[in-house]
Amino acid sequence: MNTTVVLLGATVGLPLAMLLACLWQPLRERMLPWLALGAVPGLFASWFAMRDELIVFGNAQVPLALAIDRPGGVLLGVAALLWIAGGAYAATYLGEKSSRDNFVVCWLMTLAGCLGVFVAADMASFYALLALLSVGTTGLVLSEGTPRAYRAGAIYIGMALFAESLILAGMVLTVVSAPGNSLLISAAPAAIDASPWRIEILVLLIAGFGIKAGLVPLHFWIPLAHGAAPVPASALLSGAVVKAAVIGLIRFMPIESAPWAVGATVAMLGLLGALYAVLVGITQSHPKTVLAYSSVSQMGVIVAIIGMGMAAGDGSARLIAAFYAANHVLAKGALFLAVGVIGLTGARRLPAMLLPAAVIAVGLGGLPLTGGALTKEVAKSLMGDGPAGVLATLSAIGTTVLMLHFVFCVRVTAADDDEARAPAGLVVPWLVTAGASIVIPWALYLTAGGYSLPDALAPKALWSALWPIAVGSLLAFGLVRWGGSLPRLPEGDVVVALDAATRAAGPVSAVFGRLDAVLRRWPAAAMSLLSIALLFGVAIVAGR
Amino acid sequence: MNALPAMLPETTTAGGFLLVLTLILPFVGVLAALTLGGRHARRVAMLAIPLGLVLSLAIVVEAVQTERTLVYLLGGWAPPLGIVLRADGLSAVMLLTTAVILLAVALFAHADFDTPPGTREARRPFMFWTLLLAMWGSLNAVFLAGDLFTLYVALELLGFAGVPLVCLDERAETLQAALRYLLFALLGSVLYMLGAVLLYGAYGTLDIALLAGLVRPEPAAFAAAALMTVGLLAKTALFPLHLWLPPAHAGAPAAASAVLSALAVKGSFFLVIRLWLDVMPGIITPAAGQLLAAFGAAAILVGNVVALRQKRLKMLIAYSTVAQIGYLFLMFPLAAGLSAMQLPNDPAVTGGLLQAVSHATAKAAMFMGAGLIYATLGHDRIADLAGVGRQLPMTLLAFALGGSALVGLPPAGGFLAKWLLLSAALTTGQWWWVVVMVVGGLLTSAYVFIVVMRALVTVDAGNTPKMVVPRHREAVVLALASLSFLLGLAALLPVDIVQIGRPQPFAAGLP
Amino acid sequence: MNVPTLFGLCGAVLVGLGLYGLVVSPQPLRKILAFNLVGSGVFLLFGVVARRGAALGMGGDPVPQALVITGIVVAFSATALAVALVLRLHDMTGAATLAPADADEPPVA
Repeated sequence: MNTTVVLLGATVGLPLAMLLACLWQPLRERMLPWLALGAVPGLFASWFAMRDELIVFGNAQVPLALAIDRPGGVLLGVAALLWIAGGAYAATYLGEKSSRDNFVVCWLMTLAGCLGVFVAADMASFYALLALLSVGTTGLVLSEGTPRAYRAGAIYIGMALFAESLILAGMVLTVVSAPGNSLLISAAPAAIDASPWRIEILVLLIAGFGIKAGLVPLHFWIPLAHGAAPVPASALLSGAVVKAAVIGLIRFMPIESAPWAVGATVAMLGLLGALYAVLVGITQSHPKTVLAYSSVSQMGVIVAIIGMGMAAGDGSARLIAAFYAANHVLAKGALFLAVGVIGLTGARRLPAMLLPAAVIAVGLGGLPLTGGALTKEVAKSLMGDGPAGVLATLSAIGTTVLMLHFVFCVRVTAADDDEARAPAGLVVPWLVTAGASIVIPWALYLTAGGYSLPDALAPKALWSALWPIAVGSLLAFGLVRWGGSLPRLPEGDVVVALDAATRAAGPVSAVFGRLDAVLRRWPAAAMSLLSIALLFGVAIVAGR
Repeated sequence: MNALPAMLPETTTAGGFLLVLTLILPFVGVLAALTLGGRHARRVAMLAIPLGLVLSLAIVVEAVQTERTLVYLLGGWAPPLGIVLRADGLSAVMLLTTAVILLAVALFAHADFDTPPGTREARRPFMFWTLLLAMWGSLNAVFLAGDLFTLYVALELLGFAGVPLVCLDERAETLQAALRYLLFALLGSVLYMLGAVLLYGAYGTLDIALLAGLVRPEPAAFAAAALMTVGLLAKTALFPLHLWLPPAHAGAPAAASAVLSALAVKGSFFLVIRLWLDVMPGIITPAAGQLLAAFGAAAILVGNVVALRQKRLKMLIAYSTVAQIGYLFLMFPLAAGLSAMQLPNDPAVTGGLLQAVSHATAKAAMFMGAGLIYATLGHDRIADLAGVGRQLPMTLLAFALGGSALVGLPPAGGFLAKWLLLSAALTTGQWWWVVVMVVGGLLTSAYVFIVVMRALVTVDAGNTPKMVVPRHREAVVLALASLSFLLGLAALLPVDIVQIGRPQPFAAGLP
Repeated sequence: MNVPTLFGLCGAVLVGLGLYGLVVSPQPLRKILAFNLVGSGVFLLFGVVARRGAALGMGGDPVPQALVITGIVVAFSATALAVALVLRLHDMTGAATLAPADADEPPVA
């Protein structure tokens, strides 16, 4: 019973224990202030337990195993930090709202699932935690109780379960091909590589995790959900929860040996999606929706990093993707939290709140000296100077435009009362997250090995980060000046196709209903009975 | 794959007497209830059912320890002349499931079917408890019987116990539903009987183990296979033979619906397993397996879509049963496919049976939950379920857990079953069943989601409950749903109970 | 044509008639009678099976006799139950028919 076991166990166990405690109403009513506590073991685990050690709870047949590798540790640490800040933020934000009991339960489910997938080392627990994550997240999306939230929640759970079905099929195929039918995720890349169904597995897993990551064109559920959830929940959804898909791709993909075409396709899908999301994002006016589109865009870049790694057979893509994702966790989390703070802040204190938000926002585009610049610098080694590099630069420019658009959008939501100030319970977690989003990427960059301070501060590096920002700012200025004529796309853009499909489903379901009514008449049923007997006779006689 | 392991001459094994006790206990209960009268029927049932649970646990333990089929020769006469009771892993699991669900239903129905002191003896409680015991006894007979004729009688008894349970309320609609159920089941059983006659004519025995060694691919066996299969399908209500199921299951009182939906249809399904996997694996062709599973797939699609169209909660759950019955039949082409590839077929068989157990526990909980909702609101219109989340939080949680088990979310039994069936389907290259399972799961999640959402809506004007449901009834429902939800943890058990005593012609483990 | 074949054909005719009645006739009582017809056909076949054993010089096979008697008892109980239900239905509604349950939305308890 060493520290590793305790910390890893508590990472998943504490949120689950708190969830169980919620079965008892008096405890449930008192749980809200303690939400932040649930993520603390995860934070410590990421520091003290990162040693690739496998901890097995189940039996040899079904090993329920936990472990942290380096990409998982990085993501676990920043996600836990955001969960702590978000938990503290939620305690103030929810206050005495009547929906808070449901919120608390769903929050704990999501927390257990989100931190759990970073440490799960076997497919059974990974999938179980992923499902828990989806159900909990749906609850969070629904918690406002508005029709908009219902629609977003319904679409969310449908897409999440669909994606998970694909992932499940991929995992089952992987297990069937693995030597000894191993359930361990660490055995998955080799098993996929050696499997007779290699392409099928890759397509299933990439499609499944791609949907979870919000890969265009199956991204529409993300803006809907992240726009509809309460602020602290959207921060966690957009920051931490979507990273489950990243860790899935990092752990499952046989990056070193994948076919070039698969990697290149993934990279192109990711980068084109990143640009598309920017284009749709600038037509939106709701700050949270703008941020959600930016998440879709950034997730596209992360998926593209993994795709480029697969195309090049370069295993370092795992850590680079994790680093990029870690920066996005904190930055996006901080920006969502800022939306709630700025909405309660009057004109007098607005600059003090808006400035850090603006810095972090433009940082995502790669503002020099921010985490965004560091991640882009690191990712450059994979993106190269070819088409992928050009697209990546375009996406950096696009992100700058989108983020400046966000700053304009969020500024107009400021409180009407000039003296209004957000409560400290919101401001402090926000500022902590904002500070972490500046400091932690630097810490990761400098401790990763192979990178040093002079590299980051070299004039060439600074310039290559700066010019896309400059171009982006000019475009953003243009957008403000002449952007009024842009079309207003509906939130979730291609979701209109889904709505059309839903309308078409009505008549189809009516046909099924009539079919059922006809078949349930006695003569029809009796005749089907006799014909089925004949059919079986034919199948048995003729089928041999 | 053609023969059970050589078991002849068959003798009564240690622990065989447990089978006799399990078989006669419910019927002793029925007789006692009939003799003692309505006032005591409930007491008799409440005494017998826990005892039965202990007995079935003992059978499971015995089977696990000895790792072989328990056998009892009635009167020491060996087949073909004698009648034999057998309990392999499949039977043991089903016996235990039945006892657990009956215990939950009995605890739940305790308040509904009561004869308080000072009131006159009523027919309803008397009939309910007697029929419950009779149904339990016939199910045990189905799981234990070793020959096809005893199975026929057991199935008929099951029907005779189930039909009056449907019309316990004696309303015109439920009487009609019961009559349809009875007539269609009779049509099915007469076809089954015809098949059995043909088998007897060809081979001179109806004992399952003996027949397995004798059956040859010839016209009599072909006809018998087709007739018996379709007869059993009619009793299982596999689409498109489901005409009787929705009105019967939706019209019965909640406790009766739970038993009918969870257990009654599993009796004839269990017999299909016996027939296809044990008696005539050499007769069944791949085409027949695909055909059977195709009806299953149609059941999944049509049942789920029609369930989505329902306006009443109990009708929705009944149509969900129609769909879930379809899942049970996906195992047959998968098991056959694995055997054809010289692989052990246990993923398919264990998966199929686990699906049955998982559905039984989840559906019983859901029907009982619907009963509580009906009792509280005075209706079960899905559109007007608002406020249920406040009034019956435990019931709603149970409904959600049971729903997750049906959808197949981990760690539910349905998830483990899905995993096993998926791996069998993908190993044998039958990907089309994977598509069916995925689409079915999504449709199922849609109606579970809709119901839970409607119920979670809070109402400002506090509607007064028609009846205040005692907490312990909710707790029973929740316990059963939790059991279903945690059933997937059975994967952590060291032994695969289902496979005990099953013929395993190939070395375990993949090559 | 020997005796077993004749009996077998009779059994087949009975089963066929009964199935026709079960599918076509709308009244429950006729359905019940049709079911009994099918049942009789099956039992007749079973008798033939026993008789065939006798033709092989076995002096008759007693097992089918026992099974047929059990089967007749089961069929009799089924008939009794069905008739009781029909009577009850007739008492309540004044007509015994299975038709209204075909409606799209059967009433629910």
